[in-house]
Parts: sequence; structure tokens; C-alpha cells
Amino acid sequence: MIYKKKLKMLLITASVGVFFAGCSKRDTALADTGYPDIDVTSEQAFPKQCSQFSRGAKAVVKAVVSDNVELGSVSFDIHHNFDHHTHSTEVNDCGLDPKKTPVNPMLLIKSMPIPPGSKTYVAVQEIEIPSAIDPGDYHFLIRVTDKEGWQTLKGLSIKIR
Amino acid sequence: MIVTVIDDDRCPVANALIRLEGVGVAPFQGPSGVYTFEKIPRGTYQLKILKSGFKGVKKSIVIDDESLSLSITLRPSAHVLEEVVVRNATINDQKRQEQLNLEIVTDEFIQKHLGGSLMQSLERLPGVKTIGIGSGQSKPLIRGLGFNRVVVIDKGVKHEGQQWGADHGLEIDQFDVEEAEILKGAASFAYGSDAIAGAVNLRPPGLPGPESFGGDVNLIGKTNNGLYGTSVHLYGRTHKWFATGRVSFQDYGDYRVPADSLFVYDFPVQLYQRHLRNTAGRELSLHASSGYITDRLRAVFYVDDVFTQSGFFANAHGLEPRRVDAALHDRSSRDILMPYQQVNHFKIVNRARAVFGNHAVETEAGYQHNRRKEYNHYVNHGYMPPVYPDTLAIPMNLERLFDKTVYSLRIKDLVRIGNHDLQFGINGDLQNNIIGGWSFVVPSFNQRSIGAFIYDKVYVNHRAILHGALRYDHSFVHIKSYKDWFPSPVETGGIAAPDFVLRAARTNRYFNSVTGAVGINYNLKQVELKANIGKSFRVPLAKELAANGVNYHYFSYEKGNANLDPEQSYQVDAGVVWTHDKWHAEVSPFFNYFPNYIYLNPTANHDYLYGAGNQVFEYAQSRVLRYGGELRLKYRITETLGSELLGEYLYAEQLSGSKKGFGLPFSPPPSLLLNLLYEPVHTAPFKRTYISVDLRLTAAQNNIVPPERKTDRYTVMHIQAGTRFRMQNQEAWLSLQLQNVWNTRYMIHTSFYRLIGLPEQGRNLVVSLKLPFNFPNKKKTI
Repeated sequence: MIYKKKLKMLLITASVGVFFAGCSKRDTALADTGYPDIDVTSEQAFPKQCSQFSRGAKAVVKAVVSDNVELGSVSFDIHHNFDHHTHSTEVNDCGLDPKKTPVNPMLLIKSMPIPPGSKTYVAVQEIEIPSAIDPGDYHFLIRVTDKEGWQTLKGLSIKIR
Repeated sequence: MIVTVIDDDRCPVANALIRLEGVGVAPFQGPSGVYTFEKIPRGTYQLKILKSGFKGVKKSIVIDDESLSLSITLRPSAHVLEEVVVRNATINDQKRQEQLNLEIVTDEFIQKHLGGSLMQSLERLPGVKTIGIGSGQSKPLIRGLGFNRVVVIDKGVKHEGQQWGADHGLEIDQFDVEEAEILKGAASFAYGSDAIAGAVNLRPPGLPGPESFGGDVNLIGKTNNGLYGTSVHLYGRTHKWFATGRVSFQDYGDYRVPADSLFVYDFPVQLYQRHLRNTAGRELSLHASSGYITDRLRAVFYVDDVFTQSGFFANAHGLEPRRVDAALHDRSSRDILMPYQQVNHFKIVNRARAVFGNHAVETEAGYQHNRRKEYNHYVNHGYMPPVYPDTLAIPMNLERLFDKTVYSLRIKDLVRIGNHDLQFGINGDLQNNIIGGWSFVVPSFNQRSIGAFIYDKVYVNHRAILHGALRYDHSFVHIKSYKDWFPSPVETGGIAAPDFVLRAARTNRYFNSVTGAVGINYNLKQVELKANIGKSFRVPLAKELAANGVNYHYFSYEKGNANLDPEQSYQVDAGVVWTHDKWHAEVSPFFNYFPNYIYLNPTANHDYLYGAGNQVFEYAQSRVLRYGGELRLKYRITETLGSELLGEYLYAEQLSGSKKGFGLPFSPPPSLLLNLLYEPVHTAPFKRTYISVDLRLTAAQNNIVPPERKTDRYTVMHIQAGTRFRMQNQEAWLSLQLQNVWNTRYMIHTSFYRLIGLPEQGRNLVVSLKLPFNFPNKKKTI
């Protein structure tokens, strides 16, 4: 039957396709494709989502970070969220104060290396909250990289009172 | 001699008028499309083929063998109904005579597979992918390489937009494209810098036939993003003068995805009615051309303007999750609010061709002006002041501005000496790039380049063609200095003092490159073979040489490297085409090596000053190996039923540098497309009716490189259907498409929005109707 023959041809066509799809597997064992991790809910971690800081006081911030192979570096960033632009990565929101125009908002940018070979690390930084800054909604941004250049971010909403 | 006449779909064309000058007319033949001429003396002849509904073909053939067999493909006369258009060679012949792998598509293909933008319509071709930006913008990727590694030629001139950015689309009106040629392989010998992966050559629309006057109206609608649009085209020609005009307009709303909520990183986003907020856009294009044509002289002016305005997904700008005023955005799905981009591309091209003796001299002169603006609310990051200073001259919402002016000129002489087709020529261009806006990524720069090439095509015998090409290019890049408009605390001797940081230093760089290619075609009756080995190059971009600033979209601090060498690439391409009875198979493997691929390398470091605490990304060069290929298999099951299988595979690996063992960004995963096509014969009064089903199977992409994410496999189905019918004595085309039939939620690895995890468009019905009209004012003669 002609149709049988045609069906066979179609099947051959399809099976070539399956073969082609099958040969697409590649060896990715060589490269590390794992992102580092930031544990913002760990006991040690500070601040946590919705934590409060006081003006004129010192605070010790701690970030608990880990990677499957080797960590790279950590960066902390505190900037205002008076305009509600937000990049909190956490689900619960902490209630925002009304929008306002910044006068003298606090800005802190601090990056630090992690000792080579570390798979887990607790980054500790003592910071001083000046008493003259604007109180209100702020963001606490943690960035961590691993040796390969994968980066993970956590954005926490904090308040400075 | 045997002449087989087929159409674009490889169906035989019966009852064509075939005339061999000095010999006579072949007798009309039956449905097989085969025409024979008996006992013709050796020599050179003019062959003319005419058939109503198709463009005429006139070509010169050399008969050196009694058993010569020719296959001629007739193209439907798209807008020049029943008028004769003279083309130098047909698509099949071009493919047989080109040493690189070549895909040629016509406006009919674009109409059939109409996507949101030109490149999205061409995505069905194996080896061709896009970096899509929402539903209406995209840029080409050939075998996983894009940006400045693919050249786009529009009407003979290299299209110069802002192709370095992932969110920058290609400023081309797809309704103005009548024929697109996609060249895969090392094409620098033909197009100079940047043609590393290949070239997309958008040929100028065919010239109207003598004494013609007509046009067409195209109407388009899409359900997914509520798109409506039209393109109106008019043409007219006396005997020697002609003019054409086209206006295209499209307006679309936010596109819809099969999801009620998303996560941008871990930030949850609720979608209103499954719309991706603020992805609406509009596009307005104007085209005009006019020229003078005689047998020996042709000069044509083209003027084009393409304007687009489109929004970026409001809940994330670039990679940054953002809180939005949902009530404001959700009031209308058609408004374009911030952030959005606005691009205008203006182009004037003059093409001239003069024939004298055995020479043909061609010139292409172009002027282009690309102005791109990106608007966004001011948000201070890093050391930017918390409140936007009202003393600053930059408009407060103008995040970035790029303004590019390019003048280009190409002169080429084609000469036929014996069995050699020799081409040689020179080209040069001047570029002026200016930046603006309050966010800094790339400095302003000027660029000049000049090149010379020679290319010889030798017809060894009627089976073999040899190709050899050599090219020299010289470029000069002058980068202007740039300082921040806001102070940052710069530490000197342990004391931090505010200072305006120098982001880009004044730099001059000169680049010289010698490239070339050697290739062969060997064409037998059923088998066509081709091979090519070539070297290509690319001058580093100003961004790669001099970036020094935070890309706030990507939380990255990008650092250029002023000492980068021009990127070089060596590539071997091969092609095998086999046609037998109802079978047609094509395989096109390639092997590619870069000794110094330029790559933006994410490091493990953060920079607190220049980088404002962001991760440092450095431009670096590494050795890269790539290989892969495409497969096309066609089988005509019955007269009315056809099947097709398209496949593509790509492997890329970095062999040196800090990302040794990783692949390259934007590498498309392997994919397979299965097609079934039904074309009923007796459907009068409808003609050329078709129903076609595409099933695309795409594998997962796990071979990623920072900052990419692994992308899952997916299967999507698209259905196309169409027909033609007489309306007011004109043949109207109706095309329908149902894209993403199952409303599958999936992500495309190469999409701009992949990094923030946005799914692709959901189910979409596309309807387009093309209504040609013409007013014959003289009887045509054969």
C-alpha cells in the first residue's frame, strides 16, 4: 500500500528527529553553575526584614553566606526608600511611612573580600548610624558573589528611627 | 537541454512561456514543470521565462553540454502583478553559487509567519534566533551570536543602530522587506567588521515593471497584545522613471502571558488580567524611493524613517525589581508609561549601477541617524544625590540618550573575464556617537574606517565553482572622556573627599585587520556540495574599550579594557543538499574558533567607589570553540501533503580565561521543528490555500554562564493557514496564524526578559490581509 509506505517514511523522518534531539545532551560537569546563598532568616543574621536601627547608635550587621564551591566577596548597601521605589526581595512588607523628600538620607556602601577557599562565611561589619540623618524607610541590600562570578542579592526593608 | 520550472514551494509550474533567444519557444508542457529544448549548439544564450502570477526571469546561460539541466524557481509577483520584473538569478541558483550557507525568504514567508518584528518572523529558519524584547522588538542571533557579531544590510548599506545593548531592537519595518537573505558563516570578506556569525541582507524591494501603477494595502490584527496595524504601499513607473511610497503603522497593548503572578528574583509580582504591565508600544514607518532605470544605468534613492516607542515591563527595569503604582498602570493596557524607550532611525541611501563593456560598477552611499532615548523616573543609586538637582541641564526623566550619525560609501566593480567573475572595491564610513541622560554606560566616541577587498569567483566547469576573497580594513576609534555629574567620596591618603569621578578617559585606538575566505561549490544533479573556510573580525565597541560605570539594570559595574585586540574568528562551513523525487535534505555543519573572543566577565569582586558597591564585570578576551549545525528534511507525502523537519544544534565552550569550561551567553539550546503542510488543489475560487502545523521542541539550556539562568525545555505548537482569492480582479491574500496553540507557559533562553523570568506570549491569533491593486495603463508585450 502506498499509504503504508508513506507512513513509514513519515516515521523515519520523525525518528531522525528524535535521534537529533537525543544527541543534544552536553557535559556540564566542568562548570559550576550554582548561585551562592544568603540566609537572611538565620539566627545570627542582622538585620532581618523589618529590623529597626537607631540614629546615633552603633550596630553590627551580619550576613550569613554560603556557596557550593567557593565564595567571592560581599557588599552591603544602605540607601533610603522615601520614594517607595523598593527592591525588597522578601514577601512580607513592613508598612511604609508616607513618601517624603530626602534632606540628609543615610548612604552606606561597603564591600569586603571573603577569605579564599571559604564555602560558608559570616560577614560582620560594625556601622555607625549618624544622628543627623533623616529617619524613615531604608533598604539594606546584601550582594554576595562566588568565585565563578555568580551573584545573589537580598534586599531587606529596614527602618531607622 | 532540460529546464525544470518550480515555484517557491518547489511545486512544478506548468504552462510557462520559455524562450531561448535564437532558438525559440519550448512547447507548453503538462503538470510536471519540465521543458526540453533539443539539439542546441554550444554557446551562450539568453533564457526568458514568463508565467502570469510570477515574476519573469531573464538569465544568461552557457550551454556546453547537451544534457544540461537547469532548475528555475519562479517567484510570485508580489506587488507587481502580472508585470515583468527582471532578476539576475533565482533563489536556487543563488544558493548553488554561494559558498556560505544561505537562506532566502520572501515577503510571502514573512506574511505567513508574521511575528512581532522582522527577526521574530524569521525565527523559524534553522540557525536563526532572536533576542526578543517584549512583543514588538528583537535583534538577530545567528547560531548563538548576535549584537555586533551579525551585520544587517538594508538596501545595500550596513544598518547602524545601537546594537550593543540587549534591550535595543532592530529598527526595520518588516512590511518593507520583500526579500531577506540570511548568510551563515564567516562573512567579513564581504561585509567587513562585525560579520563574524553572518549577515542578514535585506534586499531593496524589486523595481516596478515599466508603465505600471499600483500598490497594496496590508491589514494586520493580533489578539494577544491587541495589535492593529496597516501598511499601505504605492508604486508607479513610466518607462525609465519610477517612484514608490509606503506607510506602516502598528499599535499594540501590553502582551499577555499564561500566568497570574510571577517572581522577579524572589519578589512576587501580581499581574492584572495576565498582562505584562507597560509592554505596549507603537511603530510608525515611512518609506519612499525614486529612481531612473535603463539597461545600462540605474540610480535609486531610498528614504526611510522608522519610529518606535515601547514600554519596558514596569515591575522590573532591566534586572531591578520595582514597586509600581499598579492602579496607574492597570488603568489601560495600551498606554506607555515609564520606563519606556523611544527610537527614531532615519536613513537615506543612494544606489547606482552602471554597465559598460564587461564591467558593472555599483555604488552605495548612505546617511543614517539613530536617536535612542530611554525614559525612567530618577532613582538615586550609589553616590547620586538623593534629590535630582534642578540645576542639571539633563531632563529629569531622561535616563539615557544615544545619538549616532553614520555616513558610508561603497564602490564596487564587477568584471567578467573568461570564466572569472571578479569583484573589487573600497568602502569607508564615518561615525559620530553622542550620549546624554543622567545614567552613564558608554562614552561618546567617533569612529572612522576604510576597507578594500577583492573577490574572485571561478566557474571551473558547469559543476564546480571556486571562490577566493581577501580584504583589508583599517579603523580608528576616538573615545571622549566622561566625568560623573555628581561627586563621590574619593579616598586619597586615607581621607575621603568628594570628587567627580572620571568614568572614561580620552583614548585613541587604531585597528588593522586582514581577512579572507576560500570556498567551493560542487553541484551535481541531485547533490549540491559546498565548503568554505574564512577569517572574520570585529573592531571592539566603545563600550568594550571604555565602559566604566554602574549598569543599574544589572547590578553590575562594567569595566572596559582599552587594550582589547580586534576580535578574530576562524570558521569552517560546509553544506550538503540532496534532492531526490519527493525528498529534499540539507545539512549545514560549522566549526568555529576564536583566539580572542571579547566577553563581559562577571568577577567575584565588588567595587565600592566606581562601582557603588556593585559586582565588577570586566571585559576580557578568551579562546572560544564553537560548533554545530542545522538540518532540514522535507518529504512530499502526497500531492497535497508535505512534511518538514528543521533542527539546530550549537555547542560553545570557553577554552581559556576565568570562565574556562563555561559556554557563551545567549546560546540557544538545541531545537527541532516538525511541520505538516496541507495544500488542497481544487479549492476554487480560492487559490494557493494551505494549512500548516509547526511543532517546536526545544531542549533545556543548562550550559550557562554568569549571570544567566538555566532554562527548561518546552514544546509549543503554531498553526498557519492562508488562501488567495480574487477581489475586484485582484488577488487578495489572507493569512491566519494561531501562535502558541496550547497557551503554554515557557521561557526562551535568549529573550531579554529571561533573566527576570518572564514567560513568553500566550496564545495569539494573527490575522493579516493583503490587498493588491494596480491600474494597467498599457498593454504589455512579451
